[in-house]
Amino acid sequence: MRDLKPWLDLIFKRPGRLVVGGFLILATLLSGIGLLAVSGWFITETALVGLLLAAGVAATINLYVPGGAIRFFAVSRTVFRYLERVYNHDIVLRLLTDIRVALFQRLSRASRVRRGELSGAQWLSRLTSDVDALDTLYLRLIAPTALACLVTLLVVILAAVLFDIGTALLVGLLLIIALVIATAGVYLRTWRLAARQSDRQEELRTAVIEHIEGFPELTAAGRTGKHAAWLMRQAHQVTSEQAKADTRVGWHLAGSHLFVNLSAVLALWAGFALFQSGSVSGPVLVLMPIALLGLAEVYAMLPDAFGKLGATVASAARLNRDCREEEQSVTATATVLPPKTALLADNIAVKHPGYAPLFTRFNLEIENGERIGILGHSGSGKSSLADVLAGLLPTAQGSLARKDCVYLTQKTVLFEDTLRANLLLGSPEASDTELWSILEQMELAERFASEPNQLDTWLGSAGSRLSGGEARRVALARVLLNPAPLVILDEPFTGLDAETRARVSKRMETLLEGKTVVSLAHGPDALPGTDRVIYLSV
Amino acid sequence: MAEPQAKGSEGGERNASATEQKAVNGWLADLARGSRLWIRGTVVAGTIAGIATIIQMVLLARIIHLGVIDEVPVADLTPLFLSLILALVIRALGQGFQTRFAARCSEQVRRDARRQLHKHWQATGPVELGQSSAGTLAREWIDHVEALHGYFARFLPQMTLSMIVPLLILALVFWLDWLAGIFLLLSAPLIPLFMALVGMGAEKLNQQHFETISRLSGQFLDKVRGLTTLQLFGQTAGAAELIRKRSDHYRRVTMKTLRVAFLSSGVLEFFASVAIAVIAIYIGFGLLGYITYGPSEDLTLFSGLLILLLAPEFFQPLRTLSQHYHDRAAAMGAGTEILERLESPVNVENTTEIAPVEGADDRIELRSVSKTFRTDQSVLRDLTLTIRKAEVIALTGPSGGGKSTLLHLLAGFLAPDTGEMHLFGEAPGSFRFGWLGQKGFLVQGTWADNLRLTTPDASDIAIETALRNVGLGSLLDSRKQGIYSPVSEEGQGLSGGQARRLSLARIFLADYDLILLDEPTAGLDSDSEVFVLEALHKLAVAGKTLIFSTHHQALLTLANRVLLVSDGEVRDA
Repeated sequence: MRDLKPWLDLIFKRPGRLVVGGFLILATLLSGIGLLAVSGWFITETALVGLLLAAGVAATINLYVPGGAIRFFAVSRTVFRYLERVYNHDIVLRLLTDIRVALFQRLSRASRVRRGELSGAQWLSRLTSDVDALDTLYLRLIAPTALACLVTLLVVILAAVLFDIGTALLVGLLLIIALVIATAGVYLRTWRLAARQSDRQEELRTAVIEHIEGFPELTAAGRTGKHAAWLMRQAHQVTSEQAKADTRVGWHLAGSHLFVNLSAVLALWAGFALFQSGSVSGPVLVLMPIALLGLAEVYAMLPDAFGKLGATVASAARLNRDCREEEQSVTATATVLPPKTALLADNIAVKHPGYAPLFTRFNLEIENGERIGILGHSGSGKSSLADVLAGLLPTAQGSLARKDCVYLTQKTVLFEDTLRANLLLGSPEASDTELWSILEQMELAERFASEPNQLDTWLGSAGSRLSGGEARRVALARVLLNPAPLVILDEPFTGLDAETRARVSKRMETLLEGKTVVSLAHGPDALPGTDRVIYLSV
Repeated sequence: MAEPQAKGSEGGERNASATEQKAVNGWLADLARGSRLWIRGTVVAGTIAGIATIIQMVLLARIIHLGVIDEVPVADLTPLFLSLILALVIRALGQGFQTRFAARCSEQVRRDARRQLHKHWQATGPVELGQSSAGTLAREWIDHVEALHGYFARFLPQMTLSMIVPLLILALVFWLDWLAGIFLLLSAPLIPLFMALVGMGAEKLNQQHFETISRLSGQFLDKVRGLTTLQLFGQTAGAAELIRKRSDHYRRVTMKTLRVAFLSSGVLEFFASVAIAVIAIYIGFGLLGYITYGPSEDLTLFSGLLILLLAPEFFQPLRTLSQHYHDRAAAMGAGTEILERLESPVNVENTTEIAPVEGADDRIELRSVSKTFRTDQSVLRDLTLTIRKAEVIALTGPSGGGKSTLLHLLAGFLAPDTGEMHLFGEAPGSFRFGWLGQKGFLVQGTWADNLRLTTPDASDIAIETALRNVGLGSLLDSRKQGIYSPVSEEGQGLSGGQARRLSLARIFLADYDLILLDEPTAGLDSDSEVFVLEALHKLAVAGKTLIFSTHHQALLTLANRVLLVSDGEVRDA
């Protein structure tokens, strides 16, 4: 439950809205109960007065107050219900925004290694279903529970005022039992099942994807049937656990309903003694049980929400775990960069947490303006070294000092956004002329000049699809726009054919004039011009 | 970065034409037929709960009438109170069993749907299946099938219940006071109208919700995936602001729709409230004797109160149904996509079963084999070819020339349109062989798990040898638990080349006679390439029949026969 705290704090940052939203729900619930209770009172009163009138006894009845109340409650129930739904859904969407932004900010402070631990599908489920579980926490759980408690209290007070304390306490006891069955009871009986659900689904998804990706190999090996049967069993287990949880929620709903109804019966039974002793009038005697029956609707939404609470807590725990901020690794004794030096690596080790070091005792000193090439075959730890030099991966030992740098990662990362937005990441203040000029250098100007939206061409799935080589050059252009004095390029020419590579490489000479460049590649022909080359070997 | 996964799940629904919708309805009905016992059980339990509710209200009204009007002493009412409690217990049992049966029904339906989908995958075969992304297929198999839950567990039984229970109540109210019955009945013709309104609203709401969420998630995920890049350029704060702005924009757009969508359910609520109010006031005036016409003279506290207590119960099943309406929309959307998959063409099995060809177990033979895809040009035309056991065959030729198709035919992943073929005297695909696609395949788990996937009874030593054979030995040495260390999926996992070598290790381990490889060195780094070449050489020396497509010079040299596949023809190069 502690896992929910940071998210609850976030939700309660909007107390004003929450109170208004809660008030609207309360008004809806009370209108519903009021409508039935006053109608019951009215019918009983009229029946009694009607009997007197029929018997020729002069009796009067105020028709306006109850009639007006009935009409008022009928309208207010509808109006409040509508306002409540609109207002509270607006809150939910606002909370969604808050949660997304907070999550993003936390993620951006979390370590890259941790982010890399999850696959794309896992991230998708974190950012969709896990976030969804949290943004409805208020509307599904907090508000209904708080209001159910409040309405229960009001009804018990009403019982104390109209009937007597003893009856009120008994009714209160039954209602508390109903409330516990609908809330804590459901939670205790389902949380284990619910908490497992998401992990199970995620495992299942991974397994299905693996099954499909391996379909040809498995078919060839004659093992599709066996693997599929295993897969089906996994799925059945997930489904039947879900069914079990659903069934439990259903029984708790029925149980809670039963106790609400019992409280109404008890109120009526106890009320008769008071009625026959003359301390309670007939209409009031009828009002109370009907009001209590109305509580069933108030409690009805609780079991379902508490049945999902286990899953919500698990979602929160997953988000907390995967987005926890990195305890700032103590920056090794800050080495002062000697004059005329752009980068100084002293006895560093490259190591991923939990893995054996890729290499140790690596020394490198790069002078200002120098062009260094680093060559190594795949798996030699080349990209990890680049990550260390760029500061993405902390050094396991030794010290590293360098000037500000800009880094082209081995993987081409472009955003689903306009070409302009993608390029401006490199240099937010760059003018259109500068952007076109760099595109010209990368031989992309013609490609985008022919697009109707030019610099505002949308990149990514929804817009223009770039070839691997084009995407690489956009990423390269973005890096070249950046003014940082140290440039680290990991396999800068991936996906470029030999001729384009040669031309682009040549132009980069001038573009990188005066900057210090570290390029990493698997072979000499994949490097831009260099002053010296270092070979990595394991 | 593209995020197609989040989209598309509701795409089909939007464009669903009437015929399509009919087909989906038919499919859903078939699924329902498969678990009709559970559905019937759900409806029966729900009806019992409904009848118990009516009895509860009758007893309540009766007790109140006897106590208040006839002033019966409370002690004499005890039997009635006890019956009332019995009715409450029966009502609770009915409710409980209703959800229990509903859960079982949905469980059954989801199993059936998953089985159907999987059968279809099997029938489709690896080649056609490969046309869809694994993510999409997994989403259909998991999420779309899950989306059927609400429809079968809630909506479908509630449909019937929202007919039965209100009708029972209506009959009782008519018997008590036909004028009050008419009030309820008057709202009845309006109810289908509400339902249509609510339904339209719900459907729109559902669509809007899905679209917004998926678009937002897509953009959000895009930013998260590129977070390292944003960090490198110091742009995270700007991106956070952008997420806030876009998210807020979507909120405003969504709220516009929601305001309208909620109106339609507000209408149902309004009529329910007004009907209760009208009935209460009518009964009150009737009891006072102010209404001199119709049946109101016979109204008593019992009948009046009972009508009032039953009025909300009359509307309750309809309100519940409207709450579950989105379940139907979700199931229709998911059903459309599942049905589309189920109706996609399957790999037509060659019906003429090939009897084992006697004395032909030393060669692969194709006689007059042709294969045509949907376009009118045939990929392979009248192909006759004999390949001897232990030969190493390289298939080369322009892309699109039919190399892959030939490999798929040999693997039995595709059936030829005409012609006959046998592999060592047996039908293609009827025996175990090695297959290496362009993408390596690995499962989450240890190295051993990955290799035992195709050879479950392999020894530890055999596994290690196989991994060393493909040059993964040094990687294995760097892992703490040897073959029992996990092969992680991403991040510090395997490169594409290493993954393909892992697949090759499976082939080494399994000791197949025939090994088919689709471009085994394409896109590999030079390092992996060397290992793959060496491994293939070892397999060739071991006397395996190797057939691979390639453009790679070193591989062409490895082959002892090179076949040029081009324009539907195959000849020795």
